[in-house]
Amino acid sequence: MIKGDKSYNDLLTRINELETKLDESNEIIESIRRGEVDAFIVQNNGTNEIYTLRSADKAFRLFIEKMNQGAVTIGDNGIVLYANTSFAKMVDVPLERVIGQVFLGLIPEAQRQPVSQLIAAAWRDKESRGEITIPGKEGGELPVALYLNQLEIDGGVALGIIASDMSLQKEAQEQKREMEKKDEFITIASHELKTPVTSIKGYIQVLQFNFQQQGNTHAAELLGKVDAQINKLTALISELLDARRIENGQLPLHFDRFDFSALLHEIVEETGRLLPQRLVVEDTTEGVQLFGDRNKLGQVITNIIDNAGKYSPPSSKIIVQAKAEQNILALYVKDQGIGIPRDQQQKIFERFFRVKGKKENTYAGLGLGLYISAEIIFRHQGRIGVESEEGKGSTFYFQLPVIRGENLSASA
Amino acid sequence: MHEPKKIFVADDDQDILNIIEMMLRSRGYEVVMSSNAEELFACKAEDLPELILMDIWMAGVDGREICGRLKKNKLTSAIPVLFVSANSQIAAITEDCRADGFIAKPFEMKLLLQKVQEHLHASMQAQTCDQISQD
Repeated sequence: MIKGDKSYNDLLTRINELETKLDESNEIIESIRRGEVDAFIVQNNGTNEIYTLRSADKAFRLFIEKMNQGAVTIGDNGIVLYANTSFAKMVDVPLERVIGQVFLGLIPEAQRQPVSQLIAAAWRDKESRGEITIPGKEGGELPVALYLNQLEIDGGVALGIIASDMSLQKEAQEQKREMEKKDEFITIASHELKTPVTSIKGYIQVLQFNFQQQGNTHAAELLGKVDAQINKLTALISELLDARRIENGQLPLHFDRFDFSALLHEIVEETGRLLPQRLVVEDTTEGVQLFGDRNKLGQVITNIIDNAGKYSPPSSKIIVQAKAEQNILALYVKDQGIGIPRDQQQKIFERFFRVKGKKENTYAGLGLGLYISAEIIFRHQGRIGVESEEGKGSTFYFQLPVIRGENLSASA
Repeated sequence: MHEPKKIFVADDDQDILNIIEMMLRSRGYEVVMSSNAEELFACKAEDLPELILMDIWMAGVDGREICGRLKKNKLTSAIPVLFVSANSQIAAITEDCRADGFIAKPFEMKLLLQKVQEHLHASMQAQTCDQISQD
């Protein structure tokens, strides 16, 4: 039994030892969880083995080490506790000489005042932000944004500072401003060009109306031709503006529900004035409603019909055929003109492209019409294309989905 | 005999004012012209127009702002406002300002007259409905 008693006491001691070890282990696990442990040193056969933790904490450290922004932690005495390589590069001081330094000492003298204000503000309000300029490469200036945040570490407080090089953003902003300036110029130029055109067109229409009232149909007809030429001029002004807008990715479209057939007949009447007795219309889309930008789609139809007239013999017929089948509306414009070589058929929808051939110089235009038309049709989820044979003629077509208004947002 | 409908036209371009006036008068409308749409706010209730045609960019006056004020004012909020402008954003501006419609410059006389007629008609119908519901 003595033996038994001894082993009972032995067991109690052993249990106590094990409980202490378990408490220690739990404490270690808790420390690891709290991120307080970076490494273990384990004594093994008289040597120390170091085990570092591959924890999320390390991933964050690497991330901060590698990021492009400068990252610094300073203590409440203003001394740098931690800095990454990017920050050292920014202030042009070797990393090993940054840590342990007074932070303000690393900042150019001229900027110390605003930076110390930022630091004071961050201590007071928990965070602050500002922008400073420090000497950059080749004697230039480097704009730097500073974000300061109060951090609680190891029971004390510190400031975390992120310094972002703003030169790329500044450059992008500069480019954007430049682009906006150009865009504003085009917008104003277009407005200023259209204003006198509005007056000319207005007076002509009033005159035309008066001549009609007086029964002078000849004079009214001639003025109708002037009016049609003015429309061409207006279209050219709009083309320049639209092409610029497409380039900037901001061609504005205004979606609404409208009757396609009514639009087609308006355009045929207008374009027909410069193509007398040449347009043959076969329209079976009566009552078909589209949801789209009526003006812009009108511009596409005008462009395709004008092109057909421009590239075909003076008295040849142009067939304008519109039909709607299974929720797809299609418009075909068939001419008997010069046609387009096969290798150029896809290129004609590119900007500034004009069909190359012996007679190219005899055709006027900016080479923007089809480029803009393709963009407009594309933005309506439609298709645009051409079938053509050189010397025989071309058929330009587009297809548009016949959609309900609810299915497409106005910003599409 | 119906009284002729009164239309207020505001544009800082005198030629455009003349043209719109000639077009509208030829169809029997009464036209009040202004290079400064501000005048509208000095109108007595009985002198208010039945429809307003207005440019967006006018010297010293912003048509968008005028439209906003007209639509907020009880006396004028029901008067149809149509923008007549060469501004390429005219459709979006019309929507933003809660204007009733727009006519892009340069315009077709036929289209201008047609829009004026449509909006006068719609506004008359709305008024009749209001009266019936009030009675």
